[in-house]
Order: sequence, then C-alpha cells, then structure tokens
Amino acid sequence: MKLHLALRWIVFAFVALIMNFPVIATFITALKSPSEISRNPSLVVDSPTLENFVTVLTVSDRLNVYHYLWNSFSAATIGAILPMLVAFPMAWVMVRRGYGRALLFPLIVNLRALPLIIFAVPLYLMFSVAYLLDTRIGLGLVLAIVNLPLTLMLLVNAVAEIPIELEEAAHMDGARLPRLIGRVVLPLCRPAFITTFVFGFITAWNEFLFGLILTTQRAVPMTVGASFFFATSGGGVQWGVAAAVMVVAALPPLILGLVMYRRISGSMVSGAVKG
Amino acid sequence: MRLSSSQENAVLASPVVLFLLALLGFPVVLSVVYGFSEANFQALMSPTFVGLENFHLVLNDIGFWNAAWFSLRFAVITAFLECALGLFLAVYLAPLIRNHGWMVAVLIIPMIVAPAMMGLMYRLVLHEFAGPIPFYFYQWFGWSPSFLSAKTVFQTIIVVETLQWTPFAFLLFMAAYQAIPQEIREAASVDGTRPWRMFWKIELPQMLPTLFVAGFIRFIDGFRVFDNIYTLVGAGPGGSTTSMSIYIYETFLRRGEIGKAMAAAILLFLVAFLVLALGQYLMRRSQ
Repeated sequence: MKLHLALRWIVFAFVALIMNFPVIATFITALKSPSEISRNPSLVVDSPTLENFVTVLTVSDRLNVYHYLWNSFSAATIGAILPMLVAFPMAWVMVRRGYGRALLFPLIVNLRALPLIIFAVPLYLMFSVAYLLDTRIGLGLVLAIVNLPLTLMLLVNAVAEIPIELEEAAHMDGARLPRLIGRVVLPLCRPAFITTFVFGFITAWNEFLFGLILTTQRAVPMTVGASFFFATSGGGVQWGVAAAVMVVAALPPLILGLVMYRRISGSMVSGAVKG
Repeated sequence: MRLSSSQENAVLASPVVLFLLALLGFPVVLSVVYGFSEANFQALMSPTFVGLENFHLVLNDIGFWNAAWFSLRFAVITAFLECALGLFLAVYLAPLIRNHGWMVAVLIIPMIVAPAMMGLMYRLVLHEFAGPIPFYFYQWFGWSPSFLSAKTVFQTIIVVETLQWTPFAFLLFMAAYQAIPQEIREAASVDGTRPWRMFWKIELPQMLPTLFVAGFIRFIDGFRVFDNIYTLVGAGPGGSTTSMSIYIYETFLRRGEIGKAMAAAILLFLVAFLVLALGQYLMRRSQ
C-alpha cells in the first residue's frame, strides 16, 4: 500500500514536470545572462541575474512592454465585463421565464465551438469600415464575443441556484422587476460575477488570433507583442530577453488562475458539462 | 408605466440580442457578400459579384483539402491522447487529490498559459542551441532529433497540444470520478471486485458520458487549432502544418484573396455546424 502511494506521487511529480516544462524552462532561461545562454542551455543557472527583466521592464525605443500590457489589460477588461452586462438580464429571463431557451441560448452557447477564424475575416472588413482596426475598444468588443457563451452559461447556472422563494417573497412585498433584480438577484450572484470575470479576463488576455489580425501597432496585445521578439531579423533571437517577456506576459493570468484555481476548474467543468 | 411581462422579457433580452446583431449579424452579411464576390485590399469597398467562383477556387485548391486533412488528423489524435491521459491521471491520482487539493492547481497551470505563449516557449525549449531539451538529449543519448524538421514536426505539435490540454480532460474526469456514488463502489468491493475490474465494469461505464463530452470538446478545439502551431512553426516546413485556421489566415492576410478566404470560412462554418448538430444529437440520444 505504501509502495502504491509512493508510485502515485512519482507519477504526479513526473507529469507535473513534463506538462509545465516549457514554463519552468522559460523562467530559468530568463535568469541567465546572454553569454551564459550561449554556453549553458541546461536547467541549472551558474550565475543568476535579473538583467533580462531589467531590459524588459525599461522603456526603450525598441520595446515598451507597458504599452502591450496596458493594451491587453484594457481589452481584456472590456472583453470580460461587457458580456456580463449583456448576458445577465438574459440569464434571468431565461431561467425564470424560459424566454430564449429554445433558440437564443443554444445559438449563443454553440458560438463557443465555432472556429474563431470564421469571424476573423468578416470582422476585419467590418472593423476597417468602422475605424475599429488597431483599437483597444475594437479588440475588447471582439473578445467580448469570445467570452459571451461561457459567461451566459455561468450566469444562467448562478441565477438557477437562487432559491425561487427569495424572489417570490420580494415579489409579495411588492418589489417590481428592476428592484427585484437589482436588490435580490444581483447581490446573490456576486460570487458568480467574480468567477465569470476572472475566467473571461484570463481567456481574453490569452487570446492571440484576433490580436494578430485586428491590431498592427497601437493596440497590439501582450501575446502578439511577445511573438515579435522571435522575429529572427537582425542577428537572431535574444533568448534571455524573449524569455523574460514571456514570463511577464504569462504572469497576470497565472497569478489570477492559481489564486482562484478552484473556481476556475469548477467553471470549466460546468461549462463543458452543461453545454 | 407598467410593462407587461412579455414586454419585460423583451427588454431584458434586448442587450444581448443587439450585441449579437451588431457584432455577428453584420459580419454574417459581409461574409455572404464577400464570399460571392471578388475583392482585394486595394479595392476593399468595391467587391464585384462573381457567383460561386470563390467556392469553385477553394474546392479545387489542394491546399484546402490538405489543411482539412491535417486538422482532422490533428484533432482525432490529440483528442484521443488527451482523453486517455486525462482519464488515467484522474483515476490514478484520485486517492492523492482527495487529501491534497493543491495538486489540481499544479496540473492546470498549462491551461492558464496562453496557447500562443506555449508555442513560443517551446520554440525556446526546443531550440537546437539555446533549448534545454536538445541539450539533454545530446548529453544523455549523444543524439537529438530535430524536433521542428519536416519529418518530426507533426509529432512535435501533437505532443505540444496534448501536454497543454490533457489537464482539461483530467478536470472533467476528476469531477465525474468524484461524482460516482460511493455506495456503488462499496457494494462492489463487498462482492470482492478487484480494483482493475471495478474500473472497467463499474467506474468507466459511469464516466462514459463525460468521456464523450471531453472527446468532443477536445476534437473541436483540435480541429480549429491556430495559436500554438502558428507561434511555434507558422505554416511549418513546406506548409506541412497548415491547419484549417492557418490556411484561411494565410489566404486572407498573406495572399490577400479575400473572396476565397471568405468562401473557405463559410465552408468551414457549414461543416462545423453539421458536426455540432450531429454531436449534440448523439449526446441527447445517449442520455
């Protein structure tokens, strides 16, 4: 029995190491000086240094990482909040009145399964007419579409879990609909709002395809900006700096995700199973 | 003024409907217009109607069929591997996870990292001079495969995708495994059922719907793959890793063939719609 248990731990450690290997190796490489990288590609750093991070976090002509971070942050915030605003009233009428259950709900939920590239081409054309190309708002709007299906599902689950007696009691007390939703339903959904926001924010932050197609300069998000460091023009890739950029780019979603991993994994499961 | 309840419903549903009309309705109209027209980036606003010409072009393009075949193989293989590995981990590690919840956090880290970023990280990790993986291969075996060459690149991206998304299957199976009523297991173990038999005869059948859901979702995600392949190898040596999404992207932005890209996107939509409808029909029937 003891042996069995030890074996399980070994399997866990092995799998965790293999699956997270690129993240670990990138972090380690970011701690190496350029001369050490060319001489020592192993996972043991001889003389750790923060110079790559200093380079990345210092604003220069070639690189302003805060620009990318701000673009990602603002677009991801729009992309997480907007779908909650439009989906919340819908979630309530759907759960309590069955409105839109037949057509609208399956339509929205199935959007999630469509290849994003299908929307990318027509959205590019639409954005070029609407002057939304290469803007943070434009990117945020698109990320809102990406997040809408799961947002609606999570909010529908949240509303459905509110005991109907609470709403009936408020109704008896003469509360009209705006008051009922604002004072009873909304506060009870607060935990779901937080989960939905974090989940949507991470998804939006990690999105790449739309950032690649719809932005060129002013609104380039972090994921796309990071890939610029791998363009091999002019003397190859500076691996240390590139690794530090990736650490900076991956950190915000990682921190959010690890702090709230229970809720994140829970909403992934419910999002998959109810769909 | 008091609204009737059906008016209330309409008011409450209107934000999402307007949102969809603006951001999806309009693009759908554009898709249809441009799918049946010839247009380029110089004269973006003046498409000329060419009927089914674009569809004809796409369906006669060997690149389109290669991309479809690539995506299909990629999706089937990765979905299978992810489900198999995820199921194994969920069941095998279950006794540990019951007491150590943090293990889940460690295992879902790959999913929280952007797939595009994963692709870039593997570019570093697999690099022949700066990457630790070829380094250790040389050190331990005196030899290293060139992971991104035409011959091995397909296996490499299969592994990359599988390692990132096995955690998703793992999460679903973990939830399904915990949801199996304890009485069933107890009853079986009173009858003297061995662990292996318990898994095949009792636990696996209970998790079959989850297996179906996980496989379906991973298949769809694998089929539409773009980010990690694109950042790791682009279209690959000789275009060998051109997935359906990469094909449409390149047709549109690299070659500027707007009408053709749109026609390909419409075809992809129709196929995706059929697959979704079929998948949901099968799921409903199995329940």
